[in-house]
Amino acid sequence: MVMKSPSGNSLIGDNERVMNPAAPPAVTQELSENVILTTVDDIYNWTRLSSLFPLLYGTACCFIEFAALLGSRFDFDRFGLAPRSSPRQADLLITAGTVTMKMAPALVRLYEQMPEPKYVIAMGACTITGGMFSVDSPSAVRGVDKLIPVDVYIPGCPPRPEAIFDAVIKLRKKVANESMRERGILEQTHRYYTRAHKMEAVAPILTGNYIRSATRAAPSKELMQSMGMPVTLPEAEKAAQPEETNNG
Amino acid sequence: MADENVAPESAVESAGALVEAGPVSLWLTEQGFAHEIMERDHLGTELLRVEPAFLIPFCTALYAYGFNYLQCQGAYDAGPGQPLVSFYHLLKLSDNADQPEEVRIKVYIPRDNPKVPSVYWIWKAADWQERESYDMYGIIYEGHPNLKRLLMPEDWVGWPMRKDYISPDFYELQDAY
Repeated sequence: MVMKSPSGNSLIGDNERVMNPAAPPAVTQELSENVILTTVDDIYNWTRLSSLFPLLYGTACCFIEFAALLGSRFDFDRFGLAPRSSPRQADLLITAGTVTMKMAPALVRLYEQMPEPKYVIAMGACTITGGMFSVDSPSAVRGVDKLIPVDVYIPGCPPRPEAIFDAVIKLRKKVANESMRERGILEQTHRYYTRAHKMEAVAPILTGNYIRSATRAAPSKELMQSMGMPVTLPEAEKAAQPEETNNG
Repeated sequence: MADENVAPESAVESAGALVEAGPVSLWLTEQGFAHEIMERDHLGTELLRVEPAFLIPFCTALYAYGFNYLQCQGAYDAGPGQPLVSFYHLLKLSDNADQPEEVRIKVYIPRDNPKVPSVYWIWKAADWQERESYDMYGIIYEGHPNLKRLLMPEDWVGWPMRKDYISPDFYELQDAY
C-alpha cells in the first residue's frame, strides 16, 4: 500500500513512499550516525572469520561428531561455516580422525591445495598425539602437526560438537587478531616435518585393470600342474557353454 | 543354552587323548586325503590340519563334497619361533540353510619359507582375504592373481602383524619412553 499525504502534515515528504507504516519513521538522516569508522584489518578479518569454509574431511569416528554439526541440531551454518567438498574452495581443515602413514601424503596434498590463508584444527586425540594408536601401531601418524601446521587442538575421543564450536570460536579470535602488515612474517617457510628415511618409492599397485587383469583369466600353468588336475569352476563352465551355443 | 549343551562334550574330548573324527574328516579319510584332526573349538566345529603341499587337492575335494562358501580366511602368528598359520572356515551354503555344516582347515607354514598355494581358484572370496594375510604376515599365496598389499602402503617394508615385527621409528613415540 502506498500512502501519500499532503506536505507539512506528516514526516513523509511528497516524494517519499512508505509501505505499511506502523509508526512514524524515526530513521535519522544525520550523516554522522550512519558512518562506521574501522580499519582495513578489522573489516578484512571480520569478513574472513565470518565465512570459514571447512573442508569435508573425515577419516574416522571424529567425523561422526563433526557431521552432527552439519545438521539442524548443532547447525554450524550460524558461524558462517559452509562445508566444501573441494580443497580449492576451503580455508579450514578440521582433521577429524586417525591419520595413517598411507593417508599422510593425501592429507598433505589436500592441505597444499587449499588457498591461503588457511587454518587447521586438529580434532581428537588421534590427530594430536596418535591417541590410542600412539603406543604400538606400526602405521599411525603421531599427531598431524608432524605433517601440517595446526592452529587449534581439540582434545577428546571423540570431542563433542560443542567442543568443535569452542575451537571454531577460538580460531575466529585468532583470525580477528591478524594484521595485513604481518602477512609477510606469518608466511611459513618450513611447513613439513621431514626426516631422513630409507624407504624406496615403488610404482602404484592400482593399475586400473583389476578384474580384467590377465592373471585372473586362468590359474598359472605351474599351479595347474601342481594341482594334478585342472580346477574348473562350475561358473566358468556355465559361462563357457552359452557362448558356444550362441555362436553356433 | 547352546554353550550348556556343548560344554560337557568338549570336556570329554579334552579329557580323552584322541579327538573323535567328525563326519567330514571320516569322509576325507575314506577318500584318502591325509590330514590331522585337531581339537574342536568351543562350538564343536571340526578342525583339520593339512600340510601346505596337499592344500589344493584337499580343498578341491571339500568343494566337491559341498563346501561352496569360504566364510572366512585369515592368518595368525602362532608365537615367537613358531610357524605362521593360515586358516579357512568353510560352509555348506544352501537355500533356507538353518544350521549349515561347517569345517575349519589350518595350514601351518614355516616362518623361513612362508609359501602356501592360493585357494582363489576354488573360492573367489579368498581374493582380498589372502591379500590381507599376505600384507600382515608375509605369507606368499602361490597362484593368487593379484598378490599385493591391501591395507599397508605399497612401499611398506616388513610384515606388521608378525610377533617379531618392530615398528619403524618414523616419528618419535611420544609416550612410549
